Amino acid sequence: MRTPATEAAGVRRGRALPIPWESIPWWAVILAIVGLTVGWSVLTSEEYLTVIRFVMDGVRLTLQVTFISYLIALIVGLLFGLMRVSENPVFYAASTLYVEVLRGIPLLVIILYVGFVITPRIRGATNGRIDLQGLPSAVLGIAICYAAYMAEVYRGGIESIERGQMEAARSLGMNYLQAMRHVILPQAIRRILPPLGNNFIAMLKDSSLMAVIALPDLLQMGRLYVSRTFRAFEGYNTVALLYLVMTLFLSLLVRVVERRAAIE
Amino acid sequence: MNSEPIIRIERVHKSFGHVRAVVDVSMEILPGEVVVIIGPSGGGKSTLLRCINRLETIDKGRIVVDGHSVTETDSINQVRAEIGMVFQLFNLFPHLTALQNITLAQRVVRRRKQKEAEEIAHKQLAKVGIGEKWDSYPSQLSGGQQQRVAIARALAMDPKIMLFDEPTSALDPEMIKGVLDVMLDLAKEGMTMVVVSHEMGFVRAAADRVVLLDQGSIVEVTTPERLFAAPEEERTRQFLSQILH
Repeated sequence: MRTPATEAAGVRRGRALPIPWESIPWWAVILAIVGLTVGWSVLTSEEYLTVIRFVMDGVRLTLQVTFISYLIALIVGLLFGLMRVSENPVFYAASTLYVEVLRGIPLLVIILYVGFVITPRIRGATNGRIDLQGLPSAVLGIAICYAAYMAEVYRGGIESIERGQMEAARSLGMNYLQAMRHVILPQAIRRILPPLGNNFIAMLKDSSLMAVIALPDLLQMGRLYVSRTFRAFEGYNTVALLYLVMTLFLSLLVRVVERRAAIE
Repeated sequence: MNSEPIIRIERVHKSFGHVRAVVDVSMEILPGEVVVIIGPSGGGKSTLLRCINRLETIDKGRIVVDGHSVTETDSINQVRAEIGMVFQLFNLFPHLTALQNITLAQRVVRRRKQKEAEEIAHKQLAKVGIGEKWDSYPSQLSGGQQQRVAIARALAMDPKIMLFDEPTSALDPEMIKGVLDVMLDLAKEGMTMVVVSHEMGFVRAAADRVVLLDQGSIVEVTTPERLFAAPEEERTRQFLSQILH
């Protein structure tokens, strides 16, 4: 029996039969082809395998610094973001000052400053008991800088929630912080997942700046390899490729998280 | 019935910049009374209502609710827990289900156990006629159903007073009756209610007193019978002729 409904479905199925060229993510296809080609030639070449083995410890340090810095920036950024929307003038002024100063200085300068000014001063002042030399100073530099960016992301998210939500929560007797925690933030964080994810990826790339304070991260190890062997081509190819693999993996992860949050 | 007023509004003024929203308004509301505030838009109705639970702070005057001065108290959250409020745009929490919307403040403010809060929430949802919708998110409910969840959310806190800020004006016509029926039941049970609304059917059926507010001032305080038969003030007649067409 042919009802109009089955007919319509038939038409739709008929039209869906040819390959839906528009819906194919071409950028991903091209990337996969290039990736496979490059990956194949890299993994079959003794030269590249040598480089990869050489920089692998650097990959570990890059990931370590990125994850720790991100975690700290998430928390510190939230605190400053909350202060940015606070009605308390002291909180507001302090957080605005922090955000404006830290956002106005290049991350490279901040890392140099933490590494060569703050770290030695703290070591001197505490007679060497507190020494941030190495990983802690890289984490500190990256985290305090990104905390400023994140604070603005949080602020934007919080301010995007309709005023009626806070009013409804307060009218039920919740205090400001309870309303923030149970009503505003859960909604705001869902909305800012994309920029939070982007910051994660940007941070992974920016972590390469720690090479300037001589931390043996991926970039620094690559540079070391090049300076020993004078093989800049293979050395920097490998560094770029490994960064690309990590960022692609992260951006995939971010998509999965976003999709899950959207379904909820 | 206790004849001490549960809400005392004394010479209240409220401005937004140069706009005078509420001008020298005084009013007393008794326990169990249903007062409907009507008046042209921009007349200060919603502002006055929002002053009662301090969503707006007042510039001058005093508001006392159940013995607590709303304007001076240090424990505004305790006072607010006694005053339920229903908003024009419902303001349900979109990330929570109907049930979670109703249990949240019970747990956080009233410190009830999860199980107890859920029992109360189910009871309130059944009372507003949508017991089966407990697991739906606000976006899955119609406007009328959302507003009934919002009423249930307020009632679950066991308030002594309910404030309604134009509860039906954002609803499709066929949704209005369901919400008004819930409000009528509430009025019959003896809840103290202050309602900003132009639903004259509700005024006729449930209001003890009607207050006409225009340009921030009280024009007339009257009963529904007198309002429809013979309003005293010219301004009231004018306003009624505009909304009763």
